[in-house]
Amino acid sequence: MPTIFHVDMDAFFVSVEELFDPSLKGKAVVVGGRATERGVVSAASYEARKFGVHSALPLRTAALRCPHAIFLDGHPERYREYSHKVHAVLQEFSPKVEMASVDEAYLDLSGTARLFGSPLSAAHALHARMKAVTGLNCSVGISSSKLVSKVCSDQAKPNGVLWIQPGLEAEFLAPLEVRKLPGVGKVMEQRLREIGIKRVGDLAGLEEDFLRRRFGVWGLALAGKARGMDAGSWFDGEIGAHEDPKSISHEHTFDQDTADVSVLETTLTRLTEKVARRLREHGFHARTVHLKLRYSDFTTFTRAHTLDHASQLDHELIIAIRELFQHNWRRGAPIRLLGAGVTGFEESEGQLDLLNAERNERAHKALAAVDKIRDRFGEKMVSLASGLKGDTREKVHENPVGLPGKEPKPKT
Amino acid sequence: MEFSVNKTDLVRELNLSQGVVERKTTIPILSNILIEASGESVTLTATDLELGIRCLAPAKVKSAGAGTIPAKRLLDYVRLLPESEVQIKIGDNHWASLVCGRSKTRIAGMSRESFPELPQMPEAMAKIPMGLLASMIAKTIFSISAEESRFTLNGALLQLKGTTLVMVATDGHRLALVEMENPLAAGEVNAKALLPRKAMNELLKLAAETPDKEAGVEFAADENHLFFRLGSRLLISRKLTGNFPDFERVLPKAHSHIVEISREELRAAIERVAQFSDERSRAIKVRFAENEAVVHSSISDSGESEENLPVLYEGPTVEIGFNAQYLLDFLRAVAEPTVAFHFKDAQSAGEMRPAGEGVNYNYRYVVMPMRI
Repeated sequence: MPTIFHVDMDAFFVSVEELFDPSLKGKAVVVGGRATERGVVSAASYEARKFGVHSALPLRTAALRCPHAIFLDGHPERYREYSHKVHAVLQEFSPKVEMASVDEAYLDLSGTARLFGSPLSAAHALHARMKAVTGLNCSVGISSSKLVSKVCSDQAKPNGVLWIQPGLEAEFLAPLEVRKLPGVGKVMEQRLREIGIKRVGDLAGLEEDFLRRRFGVWGLALAGKARGMDAGSWFDGEIGAHEDPKSISHEHTFDQDTADVSVLETTLTRLTEKVARRLREHGFHARTVHLKLRYSDFTTFTRAHTLDHASQLDHELIIAIRELFQHNWRRGAPIRLLGAGVTGFEESEGQLDLLNAERNERAHKALAAVDKIRDRFGEKMVSLASGLKGDTREKVHENPVGLPGKEPKPKT
Repeated sequence: MEFSVNKTDLVRELNLSQGVVERKTTIPILSNILIEASGESVTLTATDLELGIRCLAPAKVKSAGAGTIPAKRLLDYVRLLPESEVQIKIGDNHWASLVCGRSKTRIAGMSRESFPELPQMPEAMAKIPMGLLASMIAKTIFSISAEESRFTLNGALLQLKGTTLVMVATDGHRLALVEMENPLAAGEVNAKALLPRKAMNELLKLAAETPDKEAGVEFAADENHLFFRLGSRLLISRKLTGNFPDFERVLPKAHSHIVEISREELRAAIERVAQFSDERSRAIKVRFAENEAVVHSSISDSGESEENLPVLYEGPTVEIGFNAQYLLDFLRAVAEPTVAFHFKDAQSAGEMRPAGEGVNYNYRYVVMPMRI
């Protein structure tokens, strides 16, 4: 029977901020941006949560609910640094660590009983070690599956440990609302409610066949999840097993909708630059570029273009995405959100260019140097001149560039 | 307007206009063909505003005049008629009536007034044998870029250099250049123009309809158009705007190694081996080692294939990745039985040329390798 830990840092962004400014302790703190800004809450302190502020809530709504809260832009580079520290601590306990995002991770502690004792004492040791090294609190969920462990850590918060012994998973899940199951969002919750399903126990009581007929393969995964099994998409994977991304994208929501071509194009340049940087980090070349446009009225378009060769070079991808933009943007229509992305990955460069062979070779070398500088000194140290004006404050993001434990595959 | 025309003549000339007629119905008149009868012939004109073609068919003209009829409908119908005279009459109401033996048909047309005026051909700059022009097109057209956004690469560069003709096409991955002496050159002419791919295709069709390969095509250009006149047929193309890349810069100056190979053997080997290449990238490897050239390809987990060709080569072993399609395009276009493969290393452009005795023209095909 495997022993899976889910370690979730308590109010991670806020806690890191408190380390740098202890005066924030015990106060209502919201990380994500200023109160008047567009955008959403990235993290809220437990004090702020009492007022109904939670992550993904629009900042302006948060300001209404909790006017006395301290709003912070956040410091992505600090979170990244601490995320690396967290990762290092976790690695002391198991070689199989998978950071699910910047502040949570799965650990496989199967077969470590002789080293760390029972799961509870291992969790206790981990707790203490985490606090000593990083100064941060975390919550630990333990069970025989990733899914149950994730639910556990949520129930254990803040700063707690919860262990569900093998065999008791279904019993533990039964009284919880279906929404607590990872993968069940608003829409699924609503659809389940329509057939009278509110709690996980109700779901577990249904025939698999019925769920499959009603919800397709998702229904089957749901049936498995309700019984505490790792089922469906990501949960089927082994911890730490390498999985290559299928797509890479970045998007930006403007503080104020804009139809200013130069702002839009420079923003697109900056977004694409970030995409290209991650592409190179993974050692991939992409064949298809994607553009996402959201107008003021929230109508959203995505458009894609397949290149005649795979590329990981900033300028080639930028030219292609900019062209998509020029062809698809309704001139003068204010834009709320822009996104740039790539798919269709190949591991080798493939066809070389005849007309721009020298230029591309120089670009490869220059970008390799730039990436090294960014690795050492941060993402903002170097960027394309045309993207400078479009540079946006890096938004606090749970899956930023350079997430520990998700390093690119070693090059062969 | 009223005239009668031989069915075979009419079908042949209408066929030539089919590639030019606008398929999309955004501007309805462009789906029509302009028919003008006068003297002892009818003139048929089609255009999609990028290309225009004007052909002539001998006819017995009862009353002169002009009208337009949907081109595709006219051809599809006339093609099915028996070999005989077709009487065509277009009335003031723009309806055309066709009578051929016991067949009678009426087709709704449109007024000729809305049909665009084609530019007048200026004085010819040069005369080029139809067969030679078609051969130059066939040797380069496959290298034109399919990427619409690279519009200066959506055609070939035609250069008149003294008494020499040069045609160059590239898609940024490979480049085909052909240079031939013009036997019909009357004097030194220097000019260049970007010829769109579609015009090149129409010229190939025109050549196929011309039994006399030595027949001279008169070539002329005005500010925006290129003109090709062969006898009574005239093809007009809008020029591609923009600058063709400085291709001479990327032509390899010297190669380290040259290997001569039988065109047919190499083509057949690549065709077979390429069955085991990735469908999208079409990547194969060509390895030159002591007295052999090895063509190799593999798709992980599903198969691999290799062929070995004897060659005269004593240099170091060099392995280069190529897009099989690119190599095949050249091997299918070149007429000579032997080709010379020029190369340096896995990163540098490779080059193929026709080889052997009697090659009296310059044909260079430069291909960038793939990194596999």
